[in-house]
Amino acid sequence: MHPLPIRIWHWVNAFAFILLILTGAQIKLGNVLHFFSFQTAVTIHSWLGWVLVFNYFIWLVYYLVTGNIKIYIPPLNHPVEFGKKALNQAKFYGWGIMVGDENPHHSTFYNKFNPMQQVSYLMIMVALIPLQLITGLFLWDPHLFGPVVNLIGGIQIADLIHILLWIFFSAFIIVHFYLATLGHTTWAHIIAMFSGYEDEHDDHGHEEGHSHGEKSTGH
Amino acid sequence: MGTKKFISVFLFISFMILPVYVSASKGVSAEDNKLCLACHSDKTLNKKLMNKEILSLSVNGAEFSSSVHGKVSCTGCHPDIAMDNHPQSKIIRSRKDFAFSVSRHCSNCHTASQLDKRQPIHKALAAKGPCIECHGSHYIKSVAIGKVDVKENTYCLICHRNKINMSMKNGEALSVFIDEAAVANSAHAKLQCTQCHSEFSKTQHPVRSFGSRRAYSIAAAELCLTCHKEAAKLYASSVHIEQLKGGNTKAPACTDCHGDHAIASVKKDKAIGVVSCNKCHSDMNASYEASMHGKARLKGNEKAPSCASCHNAHNVESAKMTTKIKDGCLRCHKDAAKVHSKWLYNPPIKLSSFAKAHFDAVSCAACHSPGAERAIYLSLYDRRTGKPLTEEEILKTLGGPETEGLMARIDQNANGSIDPKEMWGLFAQLIKKGVITTFTGNMDVQKATEAHMIGSKAEGVKDCDKCHKPDAELFQNVFVVVKKADGKPTVLKADKGVLNSIYTILPVSKFYALGSSSVELLDILFIVALLGGIAVPIGHLSLRVITSPLRALRRMGKGGKK
Repeated sequence: MHPLPIRIWHWVNAFAFILLILTGAQIKLGNVLHFFSFQTAVTIHSWLGWVLVFNYFIWLVYYLVTGNIKIYIPPLNHPVEFGKKALNQAKFYGWGIMVGDENPHHSTFYNKFNPMQQVSYLMIMVALIPLQLITGLFLWDPHLFGPVVNLIGGIQIADLIHILLWIFFSAFIIVHFYLATLGHTTWAHIIAMFSGYEDEHDDHGHEEGHSHGEKSTGH
Repeated sequence: MGTKKFISVFLFISFMILPVYVSASKGVSAEDNKLCLACHSDKTLNKKLMNKEILSLSVNGAEFSSSVHGKVSCTGCHPDIAMDNHPQSKIIRSRKDFAFSVSRHCSNCHTASQLDKRQPIHKALAAKGPCIECHGSHYIKSVAIGKVDVKENTYCLICHRNKINMSMKNGEALSVFIDEAAVANSAHAKLQCTQCHSEFSKTQHPVRSFGSRRAYSIAAAELCLTCHKEAAKLYASSVHIEQLKGGNTKAPACTDCHGDHAIASVKKDKAIGVVSCNKCHSDMNASYEASMHGKARLKGNEKAPSCASCHNAHNVESAKMTTKIKDGCLRCHKDAAKVHSKWLYNPPIKLSSFAKAHFDAVSCAACHSPGAERAIYLSLYDRRTGKPLTEEEILKTLGGPETEGLMARIDQNANGSIDPKEMWGLFAQLIKKGVITTFTGNMDVQKATEAHMIGSKAEGVKDCDKCHKPDAELFQNVFVVVKKADGKPTVLKADKGVLNSIYTILPVSKFYALGSSSVELLDILFIVALLGGIAVPIGHLSLRVITSPLRALRRMGKGGKK
């Protein structure tokens, strides 16, 4: 279900994100945090920022070339149906999962994300991450990008966007990690993110694990 | 033109001039003058005056005969001397006194109205000094001949080589004496007087009047502009001309730095960039002399930076309202950005633009004046025009009583310091009036004297933590700078919190320092988001744990069905 380039992309992203969040916190809150010195934090942050920039292109090129970017696009031609599905998904996480209902979404290679994931990942991948990378670049060299920085109102505005997204991603990554444990077993999704495929466990009847997912990974 | 007219003119002249001539030469005879010269041709003949000056009484008869007055008898000009009372024991106080007393007799022939008609300035001059001071005494040449034959400069100097003054309306006297030697050694040695003093010529000498010596000096700057267009253009953007325009007459014009007639060539005078500034800014000299630059200059290195090297010679900049001073530094330290980027860079690439990002907001002195007290200066600019908004403009825009002053208008709680809300208040009020402002930030040393104490490379600030952490050492003092119409900046104290407030994100949107100018409210938001992020899984997990019996029951049911 998770092709190799995407698994590499995911784990590089995960590693970079966590360290970027931590070094970002160190840079901003140097009076209370003492994980790194300011200089070390900035050095790590800058390197990883660039790693993330290139990593973003791995993701983008992979999905554009394979055309599979569509897994991120909600079916805008069926908004009502999509809305209902999303509501069902929310109901599942809020109640169904407690009483042992089946996950209404069955993840496959061609339909990987449930409606809630689809909306949030589309936002993250198309808007938030690029915005974070761009504002990060502005802060990385405010003089080089000076003319553009002025267009958005000044370096303080770039920083404001970068910080607000840092706050969002910090909270998001915690929730993301928790949601990853909601597979048919706690580690199922996480293992799948390493191995590329997820075991089918029909008897538990929770979610995904449909065989075409395995087939499509092709390795 | 009939012969009739010619005759009438001739007759008129004859009748007008002849009597005068006759009266002057009354009793003239070669015998009379010979008699006088019998004694006065003695070159050693002189008289000791009351003030112990020696007055020569010797006259060169031959030279006198060839002068314009050659045909005039001695008594024509010295009517008080006659054979029966000479030599007399007349008491003369001084040479000047004597010059005045003999000059009185000139007007017997040369009447005031006649002189006035010819050259208006003459009346003013004649009223002040004795005639002979300009024209000489016994060997006077015709001025008409002088006009034709002498070179222009020589012509001017006929009068101006004498210690003559010009009266100002306020009673001051301005010397219009020209030291020929000084001019000859000046950068303008080859110029004609009238190239600068274009209103004047051999035939024109307008009578002008000025309020004071200072008013004259300021007006004289206009003369320089004719040739020095480039310098004039630069000067037009200087803090000095702004002060002049704003009514500060002490602010320097061209001649205050360059001198007037003894203008030194800047190529030769390597000290002009220090000496002329020190006339007003002498308080800066001690710290300059203690700097690397001053020490090098004192050791005789003429290329060592002077005041003008950093502050510019003509478009003089004050450090308060500009970051341009560093352009002066960078003129010599051309590779400064590259040199800084050896250690001041963001990985993975060593770009000199990252060093420049620091140069944009930090003055060179802020890091290179060891031990100086630094502060953050937030200067108020019009965001659209990019020009400083003056205090007067702001008060006018805000309306209301202008007498209160700007600080009183901003500082609502009257604690003498601008807090974030008050800064927002000013920003918002101006926006309501259609003026969008921005506070451009830069770090500089607090005392101008300290700014000049540039130390060695090793003494520079290299420690990122000095600026880049919350409550950083160098971010303790914050000031708001507003320019006044006369060019001088008003520096208003502000809370250091104006760099960390949600209120000032928009007003100070162009200034940001990693760590030290971040917004505190966002730190709180971060903690809240983290707690929220943790609370969601914990809450959800708890619910799942609580509801696990429900699932177990259902599984059992399912299992049963199976």
